[in-house]
Amino acid sequence: MPNNAWTQFRFLTTHAFRVEFRQKHGIAGLFLFALASVYACYQVAGGRASAEIWNALAWVVLMFSAFNAVAKPWAEDSPELRSYLKTTLRPGIWILARMAYYVLIMSLLALLVFFAFALFLGTEHLGGSRSWSFLLGLEFTAVAFASLLTLLSAISSRAGAGFSLTAVLGLPLIIPIILISTRYGSEILSGVIFGDTAHHLLFLAGLTGGIATLGYILFPYLWRD
Amino acid sequence: MKNTFWKALGVLLLLYVFSMTLLVPLGPGLLEFQDKGKVQHSDIVGRSLPVYEVIGFGTHWDENSDSLGIFVKSKGQLAALEIFEITDETHALVGLDLPYSIPSKSWNVLVNHPIDGTLLLENALFLSDRFVDASIELPTPAVQEFGSNLPFHFPYQPQIVETIRNLMLHVPLWFTMFLLMGIGFVASIGQLSNNRNMEADMRAFASVRVGMWFGVLGLATGSFWARFTWGAWWVDDPQLNGALVTVLVYAGYLVLRNAVDDERLRARLAAVYNLFAFVILVILLMVLPRFSESLHPGKGGNPGFNSYDLDDALRMVFYPAVIGWMLLGTWMYLLTLRMTRINRKLDLLP
Amino acid sequence: MTSLLLEAHPLEGLFFGSGKAYVVLAVAAIILIGLGFWMWRAEARLKSMEKELKSTKNNTSS
Repeated sequence: MPNNAWTQFRFLTTHAFRVEFRQKHGIAGLFLFALASVYACYQVAGGRASAEIWNALAWVVLMFSAFNAVAKPWAEDSPELRSYLKTTLRPGIWILARMAYYVLIMSLLALLVFFAFALFLGTEHLGGSRSWSFLLGLEFTAVAFASLLTLLSAISSRAGAGFSLTAVLGLPLIIPIILISTRYGSEILSGVIFGDTAHHLLFLAGLTGGIATLGYILFPYLWRD
Repeated sequence: MKNTFWKALGVLLLLYVFSMTLLVPLGPGLLEFQDKGKVQHSDIVGRSLPVYEVIGFGTHWDENSDSLGIFVKSKGQLAALEIFEITDETHALVGLDLPYSIPSKSWNVLVNHPIDGTLLLENALFLSDRFVDASIELPTPAVQEFGSNLPFHFPYQPQIVETIRNLMLHVPLWFTMFLLMGIGFVASIGQLSNNRNMEADMRAFASVRVGMWFGVLGLATGSFWARFTWGAWWVDDPQLNGALVTVLVYAGYLVLRNAVDDERLRARLAAVYNLFAFVILVILLMVLPRFSESLHPGKGGNPGFNSYDLDDALRMVFYPAVIGWMLLGTWMYLLTLRMTRINRKLDLLP
Repeated sequence: MTSLLLEAHPLEGLFFGSGKAYVVLAVAAIILIGLGFWMWRAEARLKSMEKELKSTKNNTSS
C-alpha cells in the first residue's frame, strides 16, 4: 500500500463501495425506503400539500433516509483484511473515506427524494430557479447528515450497540441541522431570492467541515484496540 | 480548614445573593403613555389641549408634585407637557401642546422628578395627523433637571420588570454548566493522551453528571423567564434551541457510557464523544446565537436587555452569584468524583 | 401585562406587599443551608468509606 494520503483515500473509498455493494439488497433497500417514505407522504398529504407541508415533509423524509442509510452498523471486513488495513493505513484517512462514501450515497438519495417529491407531491411550489436552490439545499443537508452520522455510527459500532445508539446520539445533533435546512427551504419556497438565504448553506458547509475535521482528529482514538 | 473554607464561602455567597435578589426593590420606570381621546381647556395657554395619561411604575409623583416635569422629545427638541392632574403616585393626566408643524412624528416621553430622576419611554407618542417639517425649531422650555434620589435598587427594564431577579439564577447556572463541561473537556483530552489510567475518565464522568443538573436548571429557569417576558414557556429562538440540543447531547454521553461494558473502551469512546459534545456546546451556545442575532436583529423580542446591560446594583449581586454557583458546582463535582472512585474500587474488589 | 402591574400597588405593592417575597427567601435559605449541610455530611460519609475501603484493600492484599 503506498503511503500517499490521496491514494489511500481513493483506495478506501472504492473499498467501501466494494464492501457495501457486495450485498446489493442493502443499497436497493435504502432507495426503496426513501421512495416508500415519499409515497407514504403522498398518501398522507396528497397533491394538496401547502408549501410549508411540502417543505417539512421533504426534510423529514431526507432525515429518516439518512438515519436508515448511515446509522446502520458498518459492513465489516474479514478480520484478516482489517488487521492488514490497520497496519498499513492512516486511521484519519479511513474515516474521511467512509464519509466520502456516505456523502455520495446521501447525495444520490437526496436527488431521489427530490425527484420523487416532485413526481408525487407536485411541483407547484417549485417555480423556475427555486427548484435548483431547493435541490442544492437538500444536497448540502445530505452531506452534513452523512458526515455527522458517519462519525456517530463509528462511535456506536465501536461500542457494539448498533442502530439504536446512533439514533440516540444522532437525533439531538440532527436538530440544529434540520432547523437550518427547514428555514432555508421555507425561505426558498416562499420566494426569497437565493442570495439572501445562501448564508444557511454556508453555515451547513462550515458545520460539515468542522465535523470532518473532528472526525479526522478523533478517529485514531476510536480505531485503536 | 482551608478545605472547608471555600465551600462555606460558596454557600454564604449564595445566601447573600438570594437575600439581595429577593429583597432589593426595583427602581421606577414608565409603563405607558395613553391617548385619553378627549381635550381639556388649559388655563395657562388658553386653548383646549388633547389629554394623555402617563402611567409610571414605582414612581413617587404624589411627593414634591410641584417639581414633576413631563416632556416629549424628538430629534433633540424638547417640549413640555402641561400637567392637568396628578391622580396618584403613578398616574398623571397631561395636555399635549405642540404646533401643527413638528420636526418628527415619533416622540419619546421623558419624566423628571426629584426622587425618581429622569425616566424615559421610547417612541411612546406617535402623531400621525400632523405635518412634518424637519427644519422647524420648537421653543426650548425651561428645565430644572433632577438626579435620582432613591435607595439601593435594581434597574427597571421594560418587559422584564420584576423578573430581572432571575438574572441571578439563570445566567450563573449556565456559566457553572460551562465551567463543569470545560473540566470534562480537559479531562477527556487527558484520558485520550493516557488511556491506561481511569482517573481522567472518572473526572469527565463526574463533571458531566453534575453539569447536566446545572444545564437542566438553566433550562427550567429560562423557561420561567420566557413565560413572563415573552409570553410562552418555549419560544423558537436560536439560543433556546442550542441550549436544549446541548443538554440532549450530554444526555447522549451518559447513554453511551451505559452502552459499553469494557472499562477501557468505554473510557476512550466516552472521551471522544465528550470532546465532540463540548465543541457542539461552544458552537451552539456561544458562536451560533451571536451569528444569527446579527443576521436577524431584534430576534428574541428583548429590547431592554440586549447586551446584558448590567448596572452597578446588578453587578453587586451578579458577580457574587456567579462565584457562589461555581463554588457550589465545584463542590458537587468533587463529591461526585469521590463517589465515582469509591464505586469503581468496590467494583474491582474481589 | 400592563394592567396586571397596574392593579397591584407598584413597587412595594407588587413584589413585597403580600409578604410572599420573605416566605420565598426563607424557603430558599432553608433549601440552600440544607443542601450545604447535606453535602458536608456526604463528604464526611465519603471520607469514612474511603478509609474503610483502604483498610479492606490492605487486608485482602496481605
